[in-house]
Amino acid sequence: MMGLCWKHHALIQALLTRGPLPEKEFHKIFTGVTGKNPGSNQQYFNEYLLKINKELSLVQFELRGCRNQYDGQICYGFINIVSDDQSKLGTNYSLPQIAFFKGIIEEIVRDGSAEGSISCLNALNIRLDNQAVTGTGSRSLGSQSQSQGSPLRVPPAFRNFSLSQKEKTLHELVRDKWLCYTQDSNIGLGVRSFLDLRSWFRSADVPSCEVCNEAGIKAQTCQNEGCAVRIHQYCQKKKFSKRGVEKVCPSCGTRWLYPSPQVETTEEDDELNEPSQTQPLPPSTQSQSPQRLKRKRLATNVADIVGCSSSQASLHASDMRRTRSSARQR
Amino acid sequence: MASAGDDFSQFNISVEEKDKLVSEVIRYILFKTHQNSGCPIKRDDLTLLITKSYRQRALPAYVINEAKDKLSTLFGYEVRELQRARPSSTTQARNSQPSVADAKSFVLISKLPAEVYRNYVEDVNSTHLTGFTFVVLSIVHLAGGKIPEENLWHHLRRLGLSETEEGHPVFGDVKQTLETLVQQRYLQKDKASVPEGNALFYELAERALDEPVSVKIKEYISQVLIELIGS
Repeated sequence: MMGLCWKHHALIQALLTRGPLPEKEFHKIFTGVTGKNPGSNQQYFNEYLLKINKELSLVQFELRGCRNQYDGQICYGFINIVSDDQSKLGTNYSLPQIAFFKGIIEEIVRDGSAEGSISCLNALNIRLDNQAVTGTGSRSLGSQSQSQGSPLRVPPAFRNFSLSQKEKTLHELVRDKWLCYTQDSNIGLGVRSFLDLRSWFRSADVPSCEVCNEAGIKAQTCQNEGCAVRIHQYCQKKKFSKRGVEKVCPSCGTRWLYPSPQVETTEEDDELNEPSQTQPLPPSTQSQSPQRLKRKRLATNVADIVGCSSSQASLHASDMRRTRSSARQR
Repeated sequence: MASAGDDFSQFNISVEEKDKLVSEVIRYILFKTHQNSGCPIKRDDLTLLITKSYRQRALPAYVINEAKDKLSTLFGYEVRELQRARPSSTTQARNSQPSVADAKSFVLISKLPAEVYRNYVEDVNSTHLTGFTFVVLSIVHLAGGKIPEENLWHHLRRLGLSETEEGHPVFGDVKQTLETLVQQRYLQKDKASVPEGNALFYELAERALDEPVSVKIKEYISQVLIELIGS
C-alpha cells in the first residue's frame, strides 16, 4: 500500500496530541519535518495534506484548515466526519454539558448583527430545557453528539445543572477550544467549533459570507437594515482593498463601510490563547484572561481611532460599532 | 502477506464489510484512548465490536491485526499488547479458583523517533505528567519493584509532593495523579498483611514492565548513579 511515511505521521500525531494548531505552529512543524517552508512551497504543502486526507478517509477523519473568525488566523486540525458509536466515546463531556454547549452556540449564531459572541452572563443563563425537547432535531455535532431519541420530559440532570457546573463547563469548553473568550470579555466560538461544525452551521441556516461562503458568524453586516449580506473582516480586506473595486454591498448596492473602526489585533488574540494553554489546571485564569484583555483593548482603542471624528475615543469597540451608523447619518 | 488473502476468503464477508470493521476498530481505539487519557484498552472490548455483528471465529483476530497494521502505516502508532502478568493479591484472595486467562490490553505508542516526538508532537501541557510517571517508576524500581505506600510518599514528599495536597500548582490533587498511574497500568496496588495489620503496596504493573519502558528506566537510573559516583 502506498503508505505515509514518518513525516506524515509526525504531522498527524502532532494534531492528534496537541489539538488544533494555528497556521504558524503547523507550518513550523511542516518545515521542521520536511525541510520545506509551506509559504514558499504552497503546492507541495497542499499535496502533502491531500495525500494524508486520502489515506485517512478510510477511517472517516479529515485534516482541515479553517479560519478563526475572531482574528482571521488559519487553524489546522483533525475532524471526525461521521458520527457513530465510536465517536460518541471520544468525548469526556456529559449529556447536560453537551446540551449546554449546544445552547450557547445556538445563542451565538442566532445574533442578527453577527457579533459572534454573547456575554458570559447570558451564557450562564442559558436553560437546558429547550435542548432536551428539540433533542435530535438538529444534526449531531461532530464528535460530540446528542443522544438518540428526543425525550418529551426534561431529564433531572438537565434541570439540576447548577450555575457552578455551568461555569466549570464553560471553562472546560474554552480550554478545549470549543469556545473562546473574545476581546470584549464575551464568549465566542473556538477553533474546534469552526473546524468541526461546518455542516451544522449550514443545517442551522447560518447566513454565509458573500466572499468565502463559510458561515458568517462573526462578520460585518450590510449597512442596509433590510439586507442580509455578511462579509468577514478578513474577507472584506481581500475584496475591497483592490483598486477600482467599489466599496458597496454586492447585493443591494448600499455603501459598505470599509475600513471599519474596529481594529484587528491579532497579537492580542494570540495572548488570549496562551494563558489557557500553558496552565493545565487553572481555576483562576478564567477571571484573569478577560481582565487582562480588557486593559489591552482599551489601550489599543485610544491609539487607533480611524475615521471617527467624534470624541468617543475611549468607548468600547462594540459601542463604537453601534454608534457609527448614527454618526454617519449626521 | 500472501496468506492473508487466503485467510480472508474463509470469512465469507465482503471486502467492504471487512474494511468497515477495521475502520470501526481503529476509531474505537483512537477515541477511547483520547477519552480515558491513555489507559489501556481491553482486547475483549475490541472483540465485542466484531462479534456483535459477525459470528466467524477467527474474524476478530484478523480484523484486529489489520487494524494494528493500519494504525502503524497511517498514523505511525504502534499498538502494543500488554498482558497482566501478576494478578494483584487482592484479586487472588477473592478468586477461589486459579485466575482465568489474563486480560490482554492495548496501548498506543508513537513510533516516531524521540527527537521528532519531542520537538513536534509532545503536548507541553502534559509533560509534567510524563516526568511524574518516570520519577515514580524509578523510585519503585529502585525499591525492587514493590514499595509500601508510606515509603513512596516519603520520597515524593522530598520532591515537594504531599499526599494530602489537593491544590498543587502543577498537579492539583497529587493523590489523584498517582491514582492515574494505577489506572494507566504503570502501577498496581496490593494489600498485604504485615504484623501491624494491612499495608498497601505499590508494584510495577505490565506497562512499566514492558521492555521499552523498563529499559529506559534502567538506563536513566544508571546515568544518575554514574553521575553520583563519578563525582
